[in-house]
Amino acid sequence: MNLIGKKSVTFRLTLLFASVSTTVLLLLGLLIGSLVEGHFEELDMELLGGKMELLRHALEKVRTPQELEALPGQLEDSLVGHHGLAVRVLRPDGQPLYATEGSTFPPGLLADAGKQALHPTLWADSENHPYRGIAALAPTGIQGMAPAVVAVSTDMTHHEHFMHSFKAALWSVVGFAALLTGFLGWVAARRGLAPLREISRSAAGITANRLNQRLAVESIPVELAEVAQTLNEMLARLEESFRRLSDFSSDLAHELRTPVSNLLTQTQVTLSRTRTLDEYQDVLASNAEEFERLSRTIADMLFLAKSDNELIVPHRERVDLAAEIESISEFYEALVEEKGISLSCSGSGVVLGDRLMLRRAVGNLLSNAVRHTPEKGRITVRVADADDACVAVSIENTGETIAPEHLPRLFDRFYRVDPSRQRFGEGAGLGLAITRSIARAHGGDVRVYSENSVTAFEIRLPG
Amino acid sequence: MKILVVEDEQKTGDYLRQGLMEAGFIVDLARDGLDGLHLALTEAYDLAVLDVMLPGIDGWQVLQGIRRAGKDMPVLFLTARDDVEDRVKGLELGADDYLVKPFAFSELLARVRTLLRRGGKAKESDLLNAADLELDLMRRRVTRSGKKIDLTSKEFALLELLLRRQGEVLPRSLIASQVWDMNFDSDTNVIEVAIRRLRAKMDDGFEPKLIRTVRGMGYVLETAE
Repeated sequence: MNLIGKKSVTFRLTLLFASVSTTVLLLLGLLIGSLVEGHFEELDMELLGGKMELLRHALEKVRTPQELEALPGQLEDSLVGHHGLAVRVLRPDGQPLYATEGSTFPPGLLADAGKQALHPTLWADSENHPYRGIAALAPTGIQGMAPAVVAVSTDMTHHEHFMHSFKAALWSVVGFAALLTGFLGWVAARRGLAPLREISRSAAGITANRLNQRLAVESIPVELAEVAQTLNEMLARLEESFRRLSDFSSDLAHELRTPVSNLLTQTQVTLSRTRTLDEYQDVLASNAEEFERLSRTIADMLFLAKSDNELIVPHRERVDLAAEIESISEFYEALVEEKGISLSCSGSGVVLGDRLMLRRAVGNLLSNAVRHTPEKGRITVRVADADDACVAVSIENTGETIAPEHLPRLFDRFYRVDPSRQRFGEGAGLGLAITRSIARAHGGDVRVYSENSVTAFEIRLPG
Repeated sequence: MKILVVEDEQKTGDYLRQGLMEAGFIVDLARDGLDGLHLALTEAYDLAVLDVMLPGIDGWQVLQGIRRAGKDMPVLFLTARDDVEDRVKGLELGADDYLVKPFAFSELLARVRTLLRRGGKAKESDLLNAADLELDLMRRRVTRSGKKIDLTSKEFALLELLLRRQGEVLPRSLIASQVWDMNFDSDTNVIEVAIRRLRAKMDDGFEPKLIRTVRGMGYVLETAE
């Protein structure tokens, strides 16, 4: 099974083709052979039957013994010119009356003449010439005389010869035709499979740098178009993941390079001459803060990487969103009061989800809102059942309107509305991306609206 | 208090030893699993800090060896991979806590102290104090020099935490998680603001100043110095 399974399709098709056509040709050859042979036998029998008829007729016409004695002469005349024809006539007492020259008949045939009527017998003479012959009783016209025995045979050497060369020719044609169809089958299979090789050739040309190439579906036969289509779809997904991965890596490198180079510069400047203890402490403390930020960024990146690979499996418990939001708000209480922001929460809603993750998702949005709300601004948090069996948490803050072109990209990792603005205290620009990952891991999503100096984020979670 | 540290990474091991020693612990450092297990079984320790990835035998096997020998000292393991399976495995094998690398040293120190306290079962007092500051848990009252100080409930919880762990530098992440139940890395400037407001109420206008900021580490409430 495995052995065949490993062979190429071309090989298998060729083999199949050759064996089918060989079988058909063999059967055809056998049929033709037997038909020709049958035809020869028919011809022989016609000849023999005719001669037999002639002889019996001649014998019937004999009325007297004298006429019987004169018969061989007549027969000689009437049989002249029949090459290969042998005739023997025996008198009723078994003595030969007439025999053509050199004729041989097997004694059994003559003895059984009365029994086997016109059934042909085959034999060969001493020189190995094949004969077909028949024998029969032939009554004479002489009153009271027992019937004579008449035997006729024909030399089949010619026929045998013909059959021999005919068969030789037939089988060599069959053999040749089998080889030819095998070869043609191979050619046909190769031509038929050419589109597959074309697919494989163009697939081989697609590398990481040329992931945007696609198989040309239009030029591929319908049977294979589906395969090509599937491959193309796979390539599209691959390209998308690949692009995301490479964007992600370059963002990551960029995000890490800046703080690392700051750390390096600061440390080297400090080391360039002797400083006071306080200065050293200062530098170390500042480094520690920077390292902390770095390690937080790394942890966030890992979280996102896991979420990309669907490794984040939220556990399912009943989470009272209003209560959680209340508790998270307390965290920002001090900051909110400092900035004179008014923060209000209203509504209620319960979802099944991971409490810690949901706190994080909402926390990120709230932190984002607090950061972007100007002094004396307002943050409004609402929890409500949405129309589509979801619970929606909306966090709305006053402040600058975000330009529409930024909105769809706000949830991209490391995306900043104003690239020149360095991170404000916290966050490398991953908070919103994490919120989205969490919402999606829960089967929900997050959206943003911004107009008339109000920006609103809304998380929808299946209830 | 004697702590065993099993860590193969040269620098990490050295700094862990130095940091823990400076925090007042006696520290033995083993550089591979076999040495670590040998030390754990032959010496008496109050706590072990195990790295998971170790040459020879790994941290899990060391942990198993320790538990199989009937030693029940608290074990904190350090892992570079933040996999749920890893954590679950560690806790199943009998570890008491874990930290994912990279971690802040102050975080490690805080966890170590928590684990050691858990073992000691220090009686939780209802009345906490430092210098002339008093916090009464039952009556939910705070006074300084006999003067009543009004705190919000979170400020009260924050002060309680600082008082209970007097002299320990508490990292911001630990404060966020203990007081506000914020268990992910959240804005640390929130903690700064909260501490500033707490100080304004209980330190401003009083001497000595009790809450001190340790830059790059966190906050500590202490009376000495």
